[in-house]
Amino acid sequence: MAEHGEPLRILHLFPTTLGLNGESGNVDILRRRAESRGVEVDVVRLEAGDQLPASVDLVFIGSGPVSAQVQTQAAVLAVAAPLRELAASGVPFLAVGAGFQLLGESITLADGTGLTGAAVFPVSTVIAGERVVGDFVVESRLGTLVGFENRGSYIDIGQAAPIGHVVYGRGNVAATGPGAGASAAAIAASGGTAEGTVLVAPDSRVEGFWVDNLIGTHLHGPVLANNPALAEWLLETALARHGAALPPATPDLVEIDRRASEARATIAAAPLSE
Amino acid sequence: MGFRTTTAVLVGRAVRVASRARGGGSAIPGNIALKIDPEFLQHSIARIPLGVVAVSGSNGKSTTTNMLAGILREHGLKVFTNPSGGNLPQGIASSVLSSVSVTGVLDADIAILEVDEGYGPKITKMLTPSTVLLLNIQIDQLNRYHEPDRVVRMLEEVASTATQSLVLNRDDNYLVDLDTRLGSGFTGSRAVSFFGASPELIGASAHGLASAERFGDATSGSGTPVAGGAAGSAEGTAGSGHLAAGAREADVTVTDLGDSQAVLGIDGHDIAVRLPARGLHYALDAAAATAAARAVLGDRFRAGLVTAALNGLTTVYGRGELLQVDGEDIEIIMMKNPASLQLNLDSLSAPPEQVFMAVDEGTPDPSWVYDIDLSSLDHVDVITGSKAWQFAVRFGYANIPVGTVDLDVRAAVKQFLALPRPAHGRKTMILNYEQMMGIRKILGFKELEGGGA
Repeated sequence: MAEHGEPLRILHLFPTTLGLNGESGNVDILRRRAESRGVEVDVVRLEAGDQLPASVDLVFIGSGPVSAQVQTQAAVLAVAAPLRELAASGVPFLAVGAGFQLLGESITLADGTGLTGAAVFPVSTVIAGERVVGDFVVESRLGTLVGFENRGSYIDIGQAAPIGHVVYGRGNVAATGPGAGASAAAIAASGGTAEGTVLVAPDSRVEGFWVDNLIGTHLHGPVLANNPALAEWLLETALARHGAALPPATPDLVEIDRRASEARATIAAAPLSE
Repeated sequence: MGFRTTTAVLVGRAVRVASRARGGGSAIPGNIALKIDPEFLQHSIARIPLGVVAVSGSNGKSTTTNMLAGILREHGLKVFTNPSGGNLPQGIASSVLSSVSVTGVLDADIAILEVDEGYGPKITKMLTPSTVLLLNIQIDQLNRYHEPDRVVRMLEEVASTATQSLVLNRDDNYLVDLDTRLGSGFTGSRAVSFFGASPELIGASAHGLASAERFGDATSGSGTPVAGGAAGSAEGTAGSGHLAAGAREADVTVTDLGDSQAVLGIDGHDIAVRLPARGLHYALDAAAATAAARAVLGDRFRAGLVTAALNGLTTVYGRGELLQVDGEDIEIIMMKNPASLQLNLDSLSAPPEQVFMAVDEGTPDPSWVYDIDLSSLDHVDVITGSKAWQFAVRFGYANIPVGTVDLDVRAAVKQFLALPRPAHGRKTMILNYEQMMGIRKILGFKELEGGGA
């Protein structure tokens, strides 16, 4: 909607390789939440070798296995410059898991090989052997966010702001000491060691990256399913760039959001991990 | 047979009797037997004359194991097999306990064992199977396996333990060329054979065979790229230039599919077989079992006996099963993982009239339900289990009306049973494995999976 009257354009990056485990549901959810209210949406699926469309209002990139991440890296680099321009101009981004890592500055694979990222996000990832698998509860400025955490990597966001504090789960880096809970248990269960990894005090566990209009996370579920507030924020931000407001939620969305609120309460009341 | 084995058998059996009297815990006796004699399985199973056939893959293990055992029994063999679901070391040991002599000798010509993918490498190294049958690699239990690639590696390890023959699904993205990845050292001294379905049947199925996506450029038999993924530069992973699914010649092929029956093409002969329920995936299981029987029996294999064997089988517990409750039929659809749910939904001929769904923490991360095409459902009456609200959100986004959400499973079941009898005489329950176990009990079916009373 660079021009008045055009549909809201959502750019879905590499849906084929980075669409593991329901991640594309995030785009379906954004579309549905906009269209229910009469906001027209155009989803552009960008695959390897494609050019970016002329105007973009919102960018989504999902997750995938390491093999898909390696496979997609060159294609990500090919569109890195225009993606950085979109970010600099305030277009909201939601980047999840492997896609978040690829939009960072670098990824160090388990064998020590380095992969250069698109440098949209000033973060760097180290893929390390310890894996955390379980429910994930994060306290954010939008309230409690819940999802599923399933990662075998650490992400360093430097001094940047995270999405929020971890209530249950591990977060960007490993925590140690009493109260580390899920993370310590997960490391022990995976037979890994914490050697050579960044450890933070349990109270300092944080998740993701949220600076200006850029959001990166390892919340799965898919993340927007359980957390409609985040979907609302993305749509509002995308529309606000054109001076438009998001119309109020329609009754069908109100009912979906009531269910999501019950889902969040159920998970947060008794989170589990392996 | 040492003192340890005898002790393991005697103690394990005593525990088995005790735990059955209490009505549960089929893996416990096996666990104890393995603690007393860690080599209990090698001692008992590895001595069987025709050896062990190991069956593994993401979906269809129990059904296929049951079919293969039936076909071999029809050929006159005495078959030992592990009951459905008892596919971890302790479960297998428990089923051995029920059949061995006190000295640990198992009275059977051949053992057909379904093995869990995760424990497969460990189990097959212990048992050195003569034949390995691999069914498929689908997105399954990512919370446990993290990535499909890991499942691929585990099944490669399982395959590499076969001493005589390897039987593979030629229509699976990863299995079509698994033999070549094992190298000539392996293939030089083993027979490798394939099963599959005709391209027309796969094309006609709404979501094909739901094989896990494989990244990197695929080539057909002639070397033409057919399914380019993302751009190159794969840095040595994800196998560039691998074979596309379907590119191998199959010994047994599903050539036609009806409602709960199929035609298998074997050596130019067509035979009709009955399936445990609707669906191409069940026909593939029948083709897999037939191909494995052929590999095991060689010249003794008789295609004609396959029909009789499959006609005589009962449905494996909880897989496409029909239960009778108060004179009503309840169809159980198990949603073990995305592929099994999708294939089972695709096989519905019309939207079911009454639908109950129960999913709990046995499915810790139900994210994948956003990858599922749910359009074969037009409503859901009752949802329960700790993941109920997450599914209710998903149905909301799919525009599928939801009647009631109640986290109390007993109350939810009661409410569903109280619905008026459907016009087509059938209620449908979509359950994850854990809920299937619990709800069967609630419905009054007390027998347990894995060798219970």
